[in-house]
Amino acid sequence: MLVSAEPGDNSVVAQAPKVVQLRFNEAVAPAAIHLIDAEGKTRDVVVRPVDQVVLIALPNDLPQGTQIVSYRVVSQDGHPVGGSIMFSVGAPSRAAAGPTRGSSLSIIIWVAKIGVYLGLFAGVGGVFFVAWVGQQPAGGSVILSALYVGLASAIASLGLQGLDLLGQSLANIFTIAPWKVALGTSVGPSLLVAITAILVARLAWRSPSMTIACGLTALSMAGAGSALSASGHAASASPQWLTRPSVFLHGVGVAYWVGALAPLAVMARRRADTLPRVLERFSAGAVPIVGLLALTGLALACVQIGSVSALMQTEYGILLSIKLALVALLLALAALNRYWLTPALIADYTRARLLSRSVLTECLLAILILAIVGGWRFTPPPRAFAATVDAPLSLHIHTDTAMVQVMIAPGKVGADDFEFQLMDSNFGRLPAKEVTLTLSLPERGVEALERKATPGTDGNWHVRNVMLPVPGRWHVRIDLLITDFQKMTLEDDFELR
Amino acid sequence: MRYAGLILVVGTFATGSANAHVTLENRQAAVGSYYKAVFAVPHGCAGSATTRIRVQIPEGVIAIKPMPKPGWSVETTKGKYAAEYELHGSKLSEGVKEVIWSGGKLLDDNYDEFVMATFLTANLKPNTVLYFPVVQECEQGVSRWIEIPKEDSGGHDHDSKSPAPGLRLTPKL
Repeated sequence: MLVSAEPGDNSVVAQAPKVVQLRFNEAVAPAAIHLIDAEGKTRDVVVRPVDQVVLIALPNDLPQGTQIVSYRVVSQDGHPVGGSIMFSVGAPSRAAAGPTRGSSLSIIIWVAKIGVYLGLFAGVGGVFFVAWVGQQPAGGSVILSALYVGLASAIASLGLQGLDLLGQSLANIFTIAPWKVALGTSVGPSLLVAITAILVARLAWRSPSMTIACGLTALSMAGAGSALSASGHAASASPQWLTRPSVFLHGVGVAYWVGALAPLAVMARRRADTLPRVLERFSAGAVPIVGLLALTGLALACVQIGSVSALMQTEYGILLSIKLALVALLLALAALNRYWLTPALIADYTRARLLSRSVLTECLLAILILAIVGGWRFTPPPRAFAATVDAPLSLHIHTDTAMVQVMIAPGKVGADDFEFQLMDSNFGRLPAKEVTLTLSLPERGVEALERKATPGTDGNWHVRNVMLPVPGRWHVRIDLLITDFQKMTLEDDFELR
Repeated sequence: MRYAGLILVVGTFATGSANAHVTLENRQAAVGSYYKAVFAVPHGCAGSATTRIRVQIPEGVIAIKPMPKPGWSVETTKGKYAAEYELHGSKLSEGVKEVIWSGGKLLDDNYDEFVMATFLTANLKPNTVLYFPVVQECEQGVSRWIEIPKEDSGGHDHDSKSPAPGLRLTPKL
């Protein structure tokens, strides 16, 4: 067991120490020692056990703020013991105002997102178009490149999203932590479904039978829609019965439209004689699809924006306005194609040059729109502002014999106050002799941080100024000492941003 | 990383060997028989010397006679049993519910045992684990060996930090 630590747990030191000393009551062998610095980065340390003391040499360039040292050691009798100590250099870390994200990482995340869109819309949509509408492999090279770009971007996005969640820099992309964290959020399954959809589309491209190709492409289109509706601001807004299907249909519609652009452009360039028929088939599907896109887009915009003033006043609203303007241009071009250029082409299939130019312009507009939509990742929609701000975290933990209402204020990275309301199974007050709070962050290797609670005049128990310097899924354990011989334990997890 | 192998090897020896917890020396006994409970105390509380050992007697264990220890005084607390038990023809409805050894000083570097004679009544369920919660008070601090696992995990819950000493009950001989 740990007897003492130098610097002590929860202490503040003026200058970063070179060495941390952990003194145990017997000789121990260190199994794992982690250091998370004040910027939330995992750092390497050099560990040396000397008898009952474990010496940990710290890096020279520790930033100011709260650092966490987590240890797991094995004693001579084989019993593993884990714990964490926190000490602050200069002053304890203040609550982060918002996620501190390097701008270079932001740009890479944005580019990767556009890559995923290209893979799903130009790639999966393109293969769908070739199987169902075009029925000839025109535009194959563009479609296949889009698929590969999408695949690479989706895989990279997993790691990048994890880095963003952990607040780490690009250098950590080759560690396991960001990938684990990303897979634990809704982004993980979403990207996995996207990857599957792209692979199925690629399979369909190679398929010898038309029927199989049609089936596979329909499946991959559904996959693309599902991937988009599995995560993101729009899909997680309420009412869910409206937003998730809307995002799904919107995504499938966009894939139908954007997927057609590359093959149509290639066919127009080559002045393929099948072009008029293909265009007719495409147009037959396009009109209802455009209607669906407009309807679902309107529904989602209403849910996200809430009021017309927010359209101009928030970053989200401005992006939406730009997108709508670009979409209007796109619709105008599409109308041009449908009502003027297509009939002209049907009359004389050699007059394809204008159409080819028009479709290429549509491609350009589509890419711009995707870039705008990708930017939404960085601007929370207005509805999100109304809900968050200073709502403290609240947990209700329930066992057969006891209940605890846990309130964490302000519930953000930094110093937090914990308050516990203890109840027995009949919602009556549960008196306790002692209450101990144990916090850990398994995904970053932060072992048990123990704090004793003090009883307040209101009958509740308090632990004030608990430093939680790192965001993530924290595990909280509350031990209630009911009598000298009776202890109750309640545990739960909470998400700290 | 190289210690991972050490943990694996040592972990397999953890059950049944002496460890940092307060445990019972004999971990198996038949119901309906006398049982000498030996509480082994290998450590103090985070390095501090032990000054008091309190053992709570679980329901179904009767005829408690603690063994006196030189340098320590022993006292017992009596209370009512939940049921009536019969021993040697006499009916017992109350008896010792807590045994306390105090006044001594057991250094963290030393080891000692605290012994009591008990009778495990036939009412106890065989093939279950019976827990004796122990509170170990030291010069500085208290260690409470009172955690009882929810399901019967074989009497040794590896995840528990302060498990109560457990006794596996076997069928009556």
